[in-house]
Amino acid sequence: MSEVFLEAKHISKSFVGVKALDDVDLTIGRGEIHCLIGENGSGKSTLIKIIGGVHKADSGTITVEGKQLSGSQAIESIRSGVQIIYQDLSLFPNLTVAENISVNQMLESNQQTVQWKEVRETARKALEEIGEAHISLDERVENLSMAKKQIIAISRALTQNAKLIIMDEATSAITKEEVDHLFSIIQNLKKKGIATLFVSHKLSEVFEISENITIIRDGKKVGVYPTSELDHDRLVYIMTGRKLEAEPYVYDTKMKQKSPLLEVKSFSKELQYQDISFSLQPGEILGITGLIGSGRTEIVQSIFGLNPADSGTMYMNGEEVKISNPRDAIRHGIALLPEDRLNQGLFDAQSIGDNIVITILKNFLKKIGLLDTTKQKRSANDWIERLKIKTPDGNLPVNSLSGGNQQRVVLAKWLAINPKVFILDGPTIGIDIGSKHTIHDIIRDLAREGMGIIMISDEIQEVLDNCNRILLMSKGRIIKEIDDARTTTSEELYEIVTGAASAGVEA
Amino acid sequence: MNIKQLMKHNETYILLIILIFSAALTMINPVFLTLENMFDLLRSSSGTAILAIGVFLVLLSGGIDVSCTAIAIAGQYISVNVLIATGIDSIALAFLISILIGVSLGAINAVFISIFKLPTLITTLGTSSLYHGLLLEVVGTKAVNAGDLPESIKAFGKIEILTLTRADGSSYGLSIFFLILVILLLLTWFILKFTMVGRGVYAIGGNAEAAKRTGYNSHKIQFFIYCYAGFLAGVMGVMHISMIRYGNPNYLVGTELSVIAAVVLGGARISGGTGTLTGTMLGVILITILEKNLILMGLSSYWQQFFIGVVIILGVSITYAQNKFQARRNLSIGGA
Ligand SMILES: Nc1ncnc2c1ncn2[C@@H]1O[C@H](COP(=O)(O)OP(=O)(O)OP(=O)(O)O)[C@@H](O)[C@H]1O
Ligand SMILES: [Mg+2]
Repeated sequence: MSEVFLEAKHISKSFVGVKALDDVDLTIGRGEIHCLIGENGSGKSTLIKIIGGVHKADSGTITVEGKQLSGSQAIESIRSGVQIIYQDLSLFPNLTVAENISVNQMLESNQQTVQWKEVRETARKALEEIGEAHISLDERVENLSMAKKQIIAISRALTQNAKLIIMDEATSAITKEEVDHLFSIIQNLKKKGIATLFVSHKLSEVFEISENITIIRDGKKVGVYPTSELDHDRLVYIMTGRKLEAEPYVYDTKMKQKSPLLEVKSFSKELQYQDISFSLQPGEILGITGLIGSGRTEIVQSIFGLNPADSGTMYMNGEEVKISNPRDAIRHGIALLPEDRLNQGLFDAQSIGDNIVITILKNFLKKIGLLDTTKQKRSANDWIERLKIKTPDGNLPVNSLSGGNQQRVVLAKWLAINPKVFILDGPTIGIDIGSKHTIHDIIRDLAREGMGIIMISDEIQEVLDNCNRILLMSKGRIIKEIDDARTTTSEELYEIVTGAASAGVEA
Repeated sequence: MNIKQLMKHNETYILLIILIFSAALTMINPVFLTLENMFDLLRSSSGTAILAIGVFLVLLSGGIDVSCTAIAIAGQYISVNVLIATGIDSIALAFLISILIGVSLGAINAVFISIFKLPTLITTLGTSSLYHGLLLEVVGTKAVNAGDLPESIKAFGKIEILTLTRADGSSYGLSIFFLILVILLLLTWFILKFTMVGRGVYAIGGNAEAAKRTGYNSHKIQFFIYCYAGFLAGVMGVMHISMIRYGNPNYLVGTELSVIAAVVLGGARISGGTGTLTGTMLGVILITILEKNLILMGLSSYWQQFFIGVVIILGVSITYAQNKFQARRNLSIGGA
């Protein structure tokens, strides 16, 4: 390795009841692209927060260019050239895009007053550089989609002449195209001697971008390897201690009903999607995939009543249903796991258990109207176990969980209502590879029990592995329906989707 | 700005309510819409408006401050007593002492909130009672009559920056209080918009953890907020006594709810991060009109209290509903 830029040595950190990090080392060279890999709750974000001066390590040292950080001030680490994109993005929802992007620059230069012209100029340049110049500088960040928020957080880190940029799952919500673009930026930075520490659960990304990989498991460093010496299976094995294999999902045609569980006929909505028709049988896992702006998220939001369609009809078990808001949808047994759930749907300070059962509290009412707390606890603990939520105690507040484990709580919450049709928009965003399998298995079990599942994913491989039928969307239309997923390959699907996107089909 | 954009702003609605209310009042009593009455309204609401600026800042940062009136009365009562005791009849000294007291008491609030990380409501509830209790115990409970009041203070309250003559030769005018308010408003606006400390207030109100991570100095910002609110309360304290020309250490305390109501009504979110000075001022105007005219309309001051409560609840619900509505709209265009 070339010259060392950052060195973390013997880092240990405990939270109440959990040893999050235990004697972990991490070394990043100047201009190196390094990946940090580990399962949910293994301590990645904690290590990053310690580097960033957000948490103080119980023991160990962080040295940047030979100088040791005092480890308790964010600004110290920023001034030493480290920029971090945190897993929760750490944006200011109440402020504009321009200010959110420029805030680091404003703070680092230690100026006392604000030059708004400069603020806008910095932001404009940053967005241009990342190829997203169309985002309005004056929009408030709270009004942006998850993907755009990530773009803003990335742009912000790029405004500084950083020497190391740390990305804690900064690519979980953005599309393949945007990731590709980001990677070319990272490669360019590398040429200028700027290092990147990259965290992602999408192993394909890890292999594509990194030179070296540090793997941690349960707060301990397992090892550091040159990427060229690893392959997918070996990495998964080192990371999880298990071998994981995917089998395609086979639909049992005996479950087919005369009238489908859900049928959508000629749904259209201006500027979003056109003439969408499809049906779903009990036991089916229907995959919908396509690039961003393909309309996939919008259509499922319409089905769930969040974004009512302009025209079209919908049937459940052969009977027409009208759904104009999520309450109607839930009453008809439709549930939606939304795409943007990093900040959504959790009561931060409340316990993990309460968060899971909050939607089904009425199931625990005793005759006299009191809650049966024993039953409630048992149900919560069941879900904690079933989804392998990593916590010493279900009574701890939900914000003590790692990012991926918080996601599982949201998943558990929706599963607990036991819907007939379950729509999952990106079911495994931010979930580690080992747990992905667990979650996929749960989804399959639910389908086998007769639930109808719609799964939306960016990852074509995920759709291919788990769905028996697949819809490909582009620019608001269904461009192809694949009746048996076993008859195709991910390369073929990827080609169809990107081909259609570049051929100017009008929506 | 077109109508559609205007309708997105909270301020537009309050302005409409004020206009409708004023129109109704003018119909009942044509005197309402005279310049003289307007000047009077400005004079009597300047104090509340200045306290509201401080409360607005605190709310913006995600906190709440119920101690502003206790600080104002402490500044007022102590400074006036010092003037009387020393025999130095100087309005400047009165302001200086009152402001020093305000800033110090604000700093004490900041110590609890920023360093000991206590919740802002609990802290200011506690210190408010503490400051007021100490004031009554240590400085005394004796009221200051107009006769004992230093001349400079009485004179200050009568200064007019614009004097107009009535038909009968007598005159009325725009009080200096209005000028002070305008200067403080401009100062606050400048701080909030053009200084890093001001942006930090928005930042910690929007996402306190992120503010820390991006390198804002939260301690410094919180000290600034509470000291500045204390400074405003100090200014208001002296203004108040020079207006009513009577000092009673039990005045003001208890009116903080009206101030908070005005700010909330002005569209500042209770959860922090959003709101405007314009909205805050409109909120103050509305509350003042309400308070004054409810009494004129023959309602007791108990009813007045009741209405303040209604206004707070309504104000909070409306902002809440608006946010929810907006969140839903955003969800539906989430993919865009
Ligand atoms: N503030 C906290 N209080 C208590 N426990 C915490 C806190 N932050 C993290 N932990 C615990 O520390 C462990 C490591 O969490 P961390 O967030 O570093 O995991 P991670 O590797 O980033 O996981 P993910 O892939 O899910 O983001 C977890 O068991 C988590 O529950
Ligand atoms: Mg993490």
